[in-house]
Amino acid sequence: MKGWRDPVALLAIPAIAYLLLLYALPLLWLLMKSFIGPGGLTLKPYIDFFADPFNWRVVWNTLVVALWVTLVCLIVGYPAAFALARAGVALQIAMLVAIILPLSVGVVVKAFAWQIVLRRDGVVSQFLVAVGVWDEPQRLLFTQAGLVLGAANIFLPFMILPIYSVVKLIDPRLTEAGATLGATPLYRFLRIVLPLTLPGVVSGIAFVFSMAVSMYVIPSLLIGDRFQTLSTLTGRSFLFMRNEQLGSTTAVVLLVLAVSVVVGSSWLARRLGARA
Amino acid sequence: MSFLDVSGAEKSFGSAMVLGGVDLGVAQGEFVSLLGPSGCGKTTLLRIVAGLLAVDRGTVTLDGEDITARPPHKRDVGVVFQNYALFPHLTVAENVAFGLKAKRRGAAETREAVKRFLDLVHLADFADRSVRALSGGQQQRVAVARALAVRPKLLLLDEPFSALDRKLRETMQIELRRLLRELGTTSVFVTHDQDEALTMSDRIAVMNRGAIEQLDRPEAIYRRPATAFALGFVGLSSRLSGRVIGTEGGLATVETAFGRLVAPGSFVAGAPVLLAVRPERIKVDPPGGYAFTARLRDAVFQGSKVQLHFETTEPDQLMVETTDLPDGVPAPGSEMKLGWAVADTLLYPAP
Repeated sequence: MKGWRDPVALLAIPAIAYLLLLYALPLLWLLMKSFIGPGGLTLKPYIDFFADPFNWRVVWNTLVVALWVTLVCLIVGYPAAFALARAGVALQIAMLVAIILPLSVGVVVKAFAWQIVLRRDGVVSQFLVAVGVWDEPQRLLFTQAGLVLGAANIFLPFMILPIYSVVKLIDPRLTEAGATLGATPLYRFLRIVLPLTLPGVVSGIAFVFSMAVSMYVIPSLLIGDRFQTLSTLTGRSFLFMRNEQLGSTTAVVLLVLAVSVVVGSSWLARRLGARA
Repeated sequence: MSFLDVSGAEKSFGSAMVLGGVDLGVAQGEFVSLLGPSGCGKTTLLRIVAGLLAVDRGTVTLDGEDITARPPHKRDVGVVFQNYALFPHLTVAENVAFGLKAKRRGAAETREAVKRFLDLVHLADFADRSVRALSGGQQQRVAVARALAVRPKLLLLDEPFSALDRKLRETMQIELRRLLRELGTTSVFVTHDQDEALTMSDRIAVMNRGAIEQLDRPEAIYRRPATAFALGFVGLSSRLSGRVIGTEGGLATVETAFGRLVAPGSFVAGAPVLLAVRPERIKVDPPGGYAFTARLRDAVFQGSKVQLHFETTEPDQLMVETTDLPDGVPAPGSEMKLGWAVADTLLYPAP
């Protein structure tokens, strides 16, 4: 109970008031719309939503793209975080700038840039033809692969940075100690490095997944209306269809999905970490 | 060939030569200390033996096998690190079991070894604790148990006591020495603490600037330091600079600020030398004629002994340790007669 009497806690009042009044309450009010029908409280919007196979497709699209983006970020970002943490001072600063600076470029600008890159005559296509992977130029724009590629690029810093912050704290002597105890490099990685970096990996996954599952601008520009996700559907419901109830329903479904994947993955990681 | 044999080990970092062709032989079951100031290359040598650092030139053989190019996990060389490097995500028992599991020993064998080594370091009651909850001394014991549990051919210890307070350190030194002797583990111990090296070692390698200056038993290192550096680094000494007048029958006569003194050694006449005596070897009011007078600057009472510092000109240093002062601690400024046996005199080329 001491915490409540501590006057320092009062310093949080402006932040709490701001978030509560201007963010949480309107959000709650919006989300409640999905539970309120003409005759009071109802679950009908949800029953209708899940009765439509198109909506199942939307949920599936959302999850698949978000998982792919998270996976690509993890595969690219995990080793990058090590390179960053173990680099010399000058190189480390250069790498950090290279990772953080692009965050200041707007998502819209980056998505447009990717449109150019992913075109039939874009660099990716030209490269794959040049090295002989593809026989003729192909369009990656407006495909799922293109969307994943572009989104992974934009969210990559949010995977690298939390892993980097954990790797930086690992004493390099730990793997040396493992080696002198007879552990092979693979064993050292699995039993020392991986368990110790797991907290960083979990926060990286939580960051990237929650952003990828709810991204709106990037799919709009890189894949278009033919491919609907929960957030583009939410946007359409509010902006074009003026269907606030459908919009708030999809928003709630999205929220529940994102929260459960994030919570679930951290729970799983803790289990794995405890076992290792 | 010795059990561990390092020959011609050279290592540079950039343009800085850290090891300049070091040879070191350690017999099976022996405890050898690498003693030297920081930056002398002792830790580099240890890391080379462990395989954590590659030599530029030279070879390392262990138990008859050339292990120069072998990665650390295939060497059978255990290390106790200075900061212990315990795995923070594992319990005490899991830390000790780590090497056994990595080497795929059976579950029963692992359990037994963990229990045995935790018993040996008196940590059986702490098996399931997190290593983060342990004190420094306990962590150090976990590190020792972890390194020994896989029964390495050779154990390397990198200043394992440096983080402990003095009293604990002394207890742990004796404990560790006893444990290693019981197990018959060949050990190389890195330290900058001469007392630690003198207490624990079968032999000491005094290192300076990337080279071993003397490798010998502690007593020999103390009584007969091979170089002026070894003299200065291990133990206290009175040191007088002088010039050789002549050598006759293996005895050199040296002109010093306190007159002509005789020391065993052969130098050409006129050579600048450093003449030294261990302070407890100097007698106050010695019987016989070999003596000179000096003025007392300071007397430090240390309980069982008294340390007397005499007035000299820089860089000379004249210090006497005595337990025998029948008239009590003398007052500064008193003139005292000092002398020592010729055999106790050490003579080096002037550094």
